[in-house]
Amino acid sequence: MTVFALIIINKAGGLVYNRSFSDGGLNKLSTNDYLVLAGTFHGVHAITTRLNPVKTPPTAPAPVPGMLTRPEPPSGLEVLESENFRLQCFNTMTGTKFLLFTDTTQANVDVTMRRVYEMYSDYVMKNPFYQLEMPIRCDMFDRKLSSYIREINNR
Amino acid sequence: MTIYSFYIFDRHTECIYSKTWIPSEAPGGLTTTTTNGAVSADRRTSTKAGDDAKLIFGTVFSLRNMVRKLGGDDDAFISYRTGQYKLHFYETASNLRFVMLTDTATLSMRNVLHQIYINLWVEYVVKNPLSPVEHRGGDGVKNELFEYGLDQFIRGLM
Repeated sequence: MTVFALIIINKAGGLVYNRSFSDGGLNKLSTNDYLVLAGTFHGVHAITTRLNPVKTPPTAPAPVPGMLTRPEPPSGLEVLESENFRLQCFNTMTGTKFLLFTDTTQANVDVTMRRVYEMYSDYVMKNPFYQLEMPIRCDMFDRKLSSYIREINNR
Repeated sequence: MTIYSFYIFDRHTECIYSKTWIPSEAPGGLTTTTTNGAVSADRRTSTKAGDDAKLIFGTVFSLRNMVRKLGGDDDAFISYRTGQYKLHFYETASNLRFVMLTDTATLSMRNVLHQIYINLWVEYVVKNPLSPVEHRGGDGVKNELFEYGLDQFIRGLM
């Protein structure tokens, strides 16, 4: 069980956080390649949303009369599998994407993802010096994330 | 298990075969649409299918390159899943790409795509002496045996 890396992409497709946790597993790329990767993934994610072959069922009647409801929008790419790794993508309500690269046998990635998102909310969003949509440079977030992932990788 | 559609792309990035199985309103009924290149009677659906094929090619091409970059040259992109559907990918050594869209609960279809390549593509398209080497606009793929075999194979899985 190994978590290889975490990438956070802002709502405009820019790379704001990039961290690898274990040596092996994934190739090391240059910073420029990571930026390209983030931008590409952002575009592909939008396309995968549009490719939905399933017809949306007719909208359910509103629970409260007069209340407007809209169907759940189709989600984009959630899990990608390759021979060497597995990529889990979590898209927040505001469009920030969390990409977690793990080995192919990793279980309960949802739980890990949720915990990472909680840490992001606690140590990045609540940091008064953090500028929105800018690269994340928060020591507290780095530290907590390291210790949490180390715990998973050593399990 | 539901299979929505199936695409073949050649090494020139062209969509040489596509077929969709759309569950119709009547229970147990299935409607199928086949497109080879730009040949289709219904103008509107053919454009839609053509656009979808281009989008799918762009997606698998980008994801395959991303996977190769991160996982090394021997790594291969297998599938991705969204909340609504799952896309399976298989690439042969000659850069022929097979893509299949199914529902999310389906397990890996890589062996199924491999079977289609071995048992249908090689048997009915490659071994056909009348079939051209390059399938420009879907030439040679629109072949009764291949289409019938594929339809039977897919319906057998569903």
